[in-house]
Amino acid sequence: MPIVELKDVSKLYGFGDATTIALEEVSLSVEKGEFVAIMGASGCGKTTLMNIIGLLDRPTHGEYQLSGRAVAKLKNSQRSRARRDRMGFIFQSFNLLPRLNVLENVALPLAYKGVSQTKRLTQAALMLERVGLGDREYFMPRQLSGGQAQRVAIARALVNNPDIIIADEPTGNLDSGSSRLAMELLSDIHQTGHTILMVTHNPELTRYAERIVYMQDGQIVHDEPSEIGNVPRRARRIMFYKPQTTEDDDLAGVSALMNAMPGREAKAKERKPIRRGKAKAIKKSKKPKKVIR
Amino acid sequence: MSPLGSSLFRGNVKMALAAIRGARWRSLMTMGGVIIGVVSVVTTVSLGEGVKRQVSGQINRLGSDLITVRPGQAVSRDAEGRLAGVDFLAAFGANTLTEQDLAVIEKVPNVEVAVPLNAVTGLAEAGDHQLKNGSIIATSSGMEELLRTRVEFGGFFGEEESDKPVAVIGKRVAEQLFAENVPIGKSLKIRGQEFIVRGIFEEFESSPLALNADFNRTVFIPYNVGKKLNDGVLQLYQILAKPTDAHDVLPTIALMREALLNTHAGQEDFTILKASETLTITNRIVNLLTGLIAAVAAISLLVGGIGIMNIMLVSVTERTKEIGVRKAVGATNFQILGQFLMEAVVLSLVGGLIGVVLSGLANFLIRILTDLQPVITWPVVAAACGVSLLVGVIFGTAPALKAARKDPIEALRY
Repeated sequence: MPIVELKDVSKLYGFGDATTIALEEVSLSVEKGEFVAIMGASGCGKTTLMNIIGLLDRPTHGEYQLSGRAVAKLKNSQRSRARRDRMGFIFQSFNLLPRLNVLENVALPLAYKGVSQTKRLTQAALMLERVGLGDREYFMPRQLSGGQAQRVAIARALVNNPDIIIADEPTGNLDSGSSRLAMELLSDIHQTGHTILMVTHNPELTRYAERIVYMQDGQIVHDEPSEIGNVPRRARRIMFYKPQTTEDDDLAGVSALMNAMPGREAKAKERKPIRRGKAKAIKKSKKPKKVIR
Repeated sequence: MSPLGSSLFRGNVKMALAAIRGARWRSLMTMGGVIIGVVSVVTTVSLGEGVKRQVSGQINRLGSDLITVRPGQAVSRDAEGRLAGVDFLAAFGANTLTEQDLAVIEKVPNVEVAVPLNAVTGLAEAGDHQLKNGSIIATSSGMEELLRTRVEFGGFFGEEESDKPVAVIGKRVAEQLFAENVPIGKSLKIRGQEFIVRGIFEEFESSPLALNADFNRTVFIPYNVGKKLNDGVLQLYQILAKPTDAHDVLPTIALMREALLNTHAGQEDFTILKASETLTITNRIVNLLTGLIAAVAAISLLVGGIGIMNIMLVSVTERTKEIGVRKAVGATNFQILGQFLMEAVVLSLVGGLIGVVLSGLANFLIRILTDLQPVITWPVVAAACGVSLLVGVIFGTAPALKAARKDPIEALRY
């Protein structure tokens, strides 16, 4: 039984003429223990999808089953409890609470669970040890580097041993070194059997995933398995594409990045400037690549 | 686990205290309204309480079997004769008691002694000194019997001296007019007439707010002399009487009332009070005044509450992101509500406690700097804390609800 099962899920914002479609009949099924990377341009609905899966948002239409149980009828408090016990969130901007120290930040989900203070701080300390920040327990978040802060956030997401970890561009604000450290950590977590859903712009990170979902305009346009350690061709193409727009594109309001998305190739080929850009990209990709791992 | 589990509760308190410490000045400013409110309410009430205690001390000096007759109908009574209402205006300025009434009361069978108290208009002076805020009372020799306080030096004037210019004075008078403790044999002047000081009272228990004069600042002179001094007209502002048997107060009052009604042609334009009722009346006046002032002071508590609400609303907006994060990691709306409510309550409760401490300080200063002796009682402290807690709950609810109802996604995006 899949842990996450979405059937024709749509999310609309606004009313009447101002209606925006954030998600359009998305169906997705994630098995327990999968590491799924979700790629797509800004505004394609990745974050909305994550919010719905993470029970922060409710779909306008469609059905969402979490471990085989429909969540549509859950009350707000039940959704909160499900988030607490089953979800771990990792954000791009870390979102640590500035007034709590590192240890208290990590222990926060346990506090809402009603775990006693001693117990939850002990547990949080263990988790910090695991992310390699055992010596930073009493630091305040502002005293940490970005990489350290993200590792604290990862520890917080893990502390209640969630089924699903939702990472929304976890390395978006990190330098490459910290990025690698954070991703290694996520990879370790994946090894221990956690399901991870990760949104990313960076194709290099799909190396850690075993499945890649491409999104565009609120729809899933492609869904492919990938070997851990490999960056699939499709993803790589996005990475090395140099954004360039023609006047036509501007008029159409379509970004070049979107043109490079799977399913748009045919159309893009017809345009000269784009083709030139692509040729460049392909040439670049032939160069020996710096391997992150 | 219940959503308000004790560990989370403690966590909320800790977090609220940390938030207050984190923004010390802002919190202090916010608490200012509550602090001022609590200080003014507690101080007012404790002043009232202090005055009440002083008054009851003052009334005790006259004995519990004392019967007071006053001009004017100052009180109304219910069917069983208990005090129903007090007409404060009637207690002043009425002029319906006469010497004839004194004679009538003296003849009532149970009355052992009846004493007139007459206010003599005039200023007592000795040499260059004048008596400030004092009064001159013309009375008869029976007065000594009624008072619990004894004449410390010399003696009270006897019946044989009722036409002689002698005076018995209170302690303050001795200090002010003669600058000594025992000015026996010295003379003071009232309206040009010399009076020889015959005796000095020991200290009376006194109070600043009572219907009776402060006897420490009073010159007692014989009744007849006072009458002559005022050209034969005297204001009888009070007749004091004592029954032969202390247990016969009520029947004596009934007899007196009957006798007086006869001479007043059935008109009840006088008031007969027993000692406890005098106390009741004073207490009612003090309570009324205290209540009024405290009510005005309580408005600042309200203002303080609004200040707290204001700051909490700002705080909720400022911490929108925090609310989003907390919800994402699994806080229920109820838990968020609890957190912000707790913060408001801690804010106002700490304000209340600071207010109580400052009231203690104010109390101390008032005792040092004035004659007043305010008393802070435990119920007042408890009420102050309770009310500030209530203020926190009432004015913290709206911001806390606002926080709890925030949409997690909107909040995270903030």
